[in-house]
Amino acid sequence: MFAYILRRLWQMLPTMAGVVLLVFLLFNWVGGDPAYILAGKMANADEIENIRRQLGTDQPYYVQLWIFIKQIVTFDFGNAWSTGEAVSSIISSRLGPSLTVLIPLTILETFFGIALALAIAFVRGSLTDRGVMIACTVGMSISILVYIIVFQYFFAYKMGLFPVQGWGDGFAENLLRYATLPILIGLAVSIAPTLRLYRSFVLDEVNQDYVRTARAKGLGERRIMWVHVLRNAAIPIITHVMANLPALLIGAFLLERFFGIPGIGREVILAVERSDFPVIKAITVYVAAATMIFNLLTDLLYQAVDPRVQLK
Amino acid sequence: MRYRYAMNFPRCTQLAIAGLVGVLAILPAGAAGPLKTLRYIFPAAETGFDPAVARDLYTGHVTQAIFETLYSYDYLARPVLLVPHAASGLPEVSNDGKTYTIRLKKGQYFTPDPAFKGKRRELTMADYVYSWKRLFDPKLASPHSWLFEGKVVGLDQLAADAKKTGKFDYDKAVAGLELVDPYTLRIHLTQTDFNLGMILAHEPTVALAREVVEKYGDINGAVHGNPVGTGHYKLGQWVRGNRIVLEKNTEHHAEVWDFKGNGTPDDQRIIAQMKGKTIPQIDRIDIRVMVEDQSRWLSFQSGGVDLFWLDGPLAPKAILNGKLRPELAAKGVQLSRQIDPEITYYYWNMQDPVVGGFSKEKIALRRAIAMAHNVDEEISIVWNGQAQRVDYPIPPGVVGHDPAYRSILQYDPALANKLLDRFGYKKGKDGWRTLPDGKPLVISYTSRNEASGVLMAEVWRKTYNALGIRMENKRMIFSDLLQAEKLCKVQSRNYQWMADYPDGDNFMQLHYGPNVNQNNAACFADPEVDKLYAQSQKMPAGPERDVLYHRIARRIEVTGAARMAYSRFRNMLAQPAVLGYTKHPILHQEWAYIDIDPSK
Repeated sequence: MFAYILRRLWQMLPTMAGVVLLVFLLFNWVGGDPAYILAGKMANADEIENIRRQLGTDQPYYVQLWIFIKQIVTFDFGNAWSTGEAVSSIISSRLGPSLTVLIPLTILETFFGIALALAIAFVRGSLTDRGVMIACTVGMSISILVYIIVFQYFFAYKMGLFPVQGWGDGFAENLLRYATLPILIGLAVSIAPTLRLYRSFVLDEVNQDYVRTARAKGLGERRIMWVHVLRNAAIPIITHVMANLPALLIGAFLLERFFGIPGIGREVILAVERSDFPVIKAITVYVAAATMIFNLLTDLLYQAVDPRVQLK
Repeated sequence: MRYRYAMNFPRCTQLAIAGLVGVLAILPAGAAGPLKTLRYIFPAAETGFDPAVARDLYTGHVTQAIFETLYSYDYLARPVLLVPHAASGLPEVSNDGKTYTIRLKKGQYFTPDPAFKGKRRELTMADYVYSWKRLFDPKLASPHSWLFEGKVVGLDQLAADAKKTGKFDYDKAVAGLELVDPYTLRIHLTQTDFNLGMILAHEPTVALAREVVEKYGDINGAVHGNPVGTGHYKLGQWVRGNRIVLEKNTEHHAEVWDFKGNGTPDDQRIIAQMKGKTIPQIDRIDIRVMVEDQSRWLSFQSGGVDLFWLDGPLAPKAILNGKLRPELAAKGVQLSRQIDPEITYYYWNMQDPVVGGFSKEKIALRRAIAMAHNVDEEISIVWNGQAQRVDYPIPPGVVGHDPAYRSILQYDPALANKLLDRFGYKKGKDGWRTLPDGKPLVISYTSRNEASGVLMAEVWRKTYNALGIRMENKRMIFSDLLQAEKLCKVQSRNYQWMADYPDGDNFMQLHYGPNVNQNNAACFADPEVDKLYAQSQKMPAGPERDVLYHRIARRIEVTGAARMAYSRFRNMLAQPAVLGYTKHPILHQEWAYIDIDPSK
C-alpha cells in the first residue's frame, strides 16, 4: 500500500509539470499584458516598461517560468498584481464562503441522488420511472442561469423567502440565511444528471447474479437494494463524488456572482478579467494538485469499500 | 466649499455647543438614536485603497471619502465650481500662471492609528508634498504621475535620480514645492498652467501620512489595506471584493451644509432638506459589490439598497422617455439624471496605410465613413437610449463645452457614398468597393471582447455595408486592446474618455500630436492642431481659448481623423428615505452631503 502511494505521488510530478507549462504558455499567449491596464490611461512607454519591471514580466520567459516553479515549491505566489493582496490570503479568505455553499450542496446532492436512484430503481420500467427520466432530461436541458434568475426572482424577491443576495459575518448566518437559496439552486441543477447517473449505476447491479441469489435466499427487496446493490454501486458513485471534489476549490462562480458570495469562483473570474497572473496560476496549480490527490484518495477508498480491489 | 466653520461661531455659542456635547456624552448610548446607514452598491469590485495606485472608479469612491484633496467642487453649483476642501481658500495664482500659493486649514487631523503612536496627527502641507512625490516613485509605479509630470520644477528630476540610484529620496527638497510654513505651500511650475486647481481636486493628489505608508506599505510602498486619512469617513470593515463599511470620521472638523445651488426646483428641494445640517449626516456607508444586473436591480426594488447607479442594460426598467417610470415615481423613488463628463468618439488610425494619412482620398474615405454612421441608432441599440449625441470634442458639463457648435460631419449616407465615388473608391461587380488603386478595401473595426463590443461591431457593420466597404471585427481583451492602441495598431474603434478634471484641456489633449502612443488613440499628429493646442495651454478658460478649441474641433472634422459621437447619461436612483441627493458630475460620490430618514 505504502509503495503504491509513493509511486502514485511520484507519478504526479510529470503531470504537474505539464500543468505548469500549459498554464504558463496559455497566459503568455492569450493572457494579455497587464502592464497596460495597471499603467492607467495616460501612461507612456517608459511607465509601462517600469510596471513590467515591477511585475517581472520584462524578464526572459525561462526566468519567469523558473520563478513560477519556485513559487509552487515554496507555496508563495506573491501578491495579486491588481490589488496587492497576498495570493495566499485571497485563497484562504475566499475558500470559506465557497465551501459554505458547496459542501452542503455536495452532501445533499449525493444523499438525494442515491436515495432517489434506489427508489426509481425499485420501480424501473414503470410510468413513474419514465416520467422521472423525462423530467431529468428537461431539467438538464435548462441552463443554470435560468434557474438562478427564476429562483432569485420568485423565491427571494417576490416571495421574500430568502435574501436577494448578501453575505454576513458568521458561519451560521451565512449557511442558514444567505447560502440556503444558492444551495437549493445548485441542488435543483445538479440533481437531474446525478439521479440519471446513479440510477444507471444501480440498474447495472440489480440484474447481477448475486441479486438473484439474494432474492432466492429470501432477502427482502429493501435489504437487497440498500445493502447488496448499494455497496456494489458505491464504487462508481465514489468515483463520481471524488472526481467532483476538486471543483469545490474553484467554487460555483455563477452562484457567487449572483448572490454576492465572496468565494473563490468569483475571484477566479475577477483575476481573469484583470489578467492577474499570480492569482490564476496559484488557483490552477492548487486545483490540479487537488485533482491528483483526490484521484489517489478515490483509489484508496475503493479498497475500503470493496476488499476485492487490489492496489498494485 | 461654501460652508461655515463651527470655530467661527461667537464664543458664547461655542461654549453652549461644548456644553451640549458634554451632556450628550454622558447620556446612555441608547439615547443617541439609531445610526444612519446608507446602503450602496458597486457593480464591480474595488482594488485597494492607496490613492496613488488605485485607478478604478469604485475604489475612487472610497478614497474620495477617506482622504481629502486640497480642492473639491461645490455640491450644487452647475457648471461645476472649484472650492477649497482641505485648503483654506482658492489658490493664489500669479499672472503668468506659473506660481500657485495654497494655504491649508489649520486643525485638521488624521484619524487615529497605531502608526501615530497615540498622538494626534495634524495634517500639514508636508503631507501633500510627500504624497505627490510618491506619484513619482518608480517602485510604486503610480498611474497618476501624469498629473504633475513635466509641470513642477524639480519633481521629474527626483524620479530621474531614483531611476539611476535605485532609491527614491523622499527627503530631498523639490524646488517647485516650496514649503513656506506647515500650512502654506508655494508651487512653482515649469510652464503656465491654469488648471492646477482642478488637478488638485483629483483624488490621486490627496494627502497620506508618511508614518502610515512606512508602517503598512507593501514591498513597493503601496498601502492598499490601511487607508488613514482626514476625510469625512474612515474604513470600518472590508471584505475584499464584497463589502466595504465606512464609518463617520468623528475627528473631521465641523462643517455646516450651506450650498446655494442655481435656484432650480431640485436645488430648492435639496436646500430645504439639508440647509444648516452638520456634514456628514450619515453615520455609516455600507457598500456591497454586486456584479450582476439582476441582483442589483432586485436588491434596490426590495429596499435593500438606498442609492443605485442604474447603468446601461437596466435603464429601461426604470426610465421611460428620460423620466422615471410612473410606478416607481408613485413609490417615491427619486431619479437624478445627468450627462456624464465623458465622450465617445470614433477614430481612424492616422498612421494606418489603409485609412490613415492626409491625402485627399484618405480624408474623403474617413469623412464618408463618419457621415454614413448613424450615431442615434448606436445610442438606441447599444446604450438603450441612455446617451446624448454630441458634436463638440468637449462634452456637456465640462468647462469649454459649446452646445451651439455643429459638426460638418452629419449623418448623410447618400452623400457619403457620393464622396467615395468621387474619390475613386469604385464598387466591383460583387458590390464591394476597392481602393482607388484597385486593391481590395477592407477596414478593421476593433471592439472589446464583451457584449457591448459585439453590439457596437454589428452597428458598424451596417454602416460599412451601406457604403459597400468590407468590415472585419477584431475583438480583444482590454489589455491587448490598450497595447495595440498605444502602438498605433488599431485601425478604428469607439474611444471613450472620462474627465479626470472638468476642463476642456483634458479632452483636447486627446488630439495633441506629442500624446501619440499615450492617449492620442487616433495617432493624429497635425501641426496646425498641435500649434493651436500648445497656445491654448497658456491661456485660462475663456472666450479666447474657446476660439482655439473651435479651430481644433473643426480641423479634426476636416481631416476626418475622428468623429465625435455621444456622452452617456448617468442615472442614479434613490429610495424615498434619501434626502438632499443629486448626482454631482465630477465627484464620485456625494455621501457627505446627503442625509437619510430612518423613519421612512
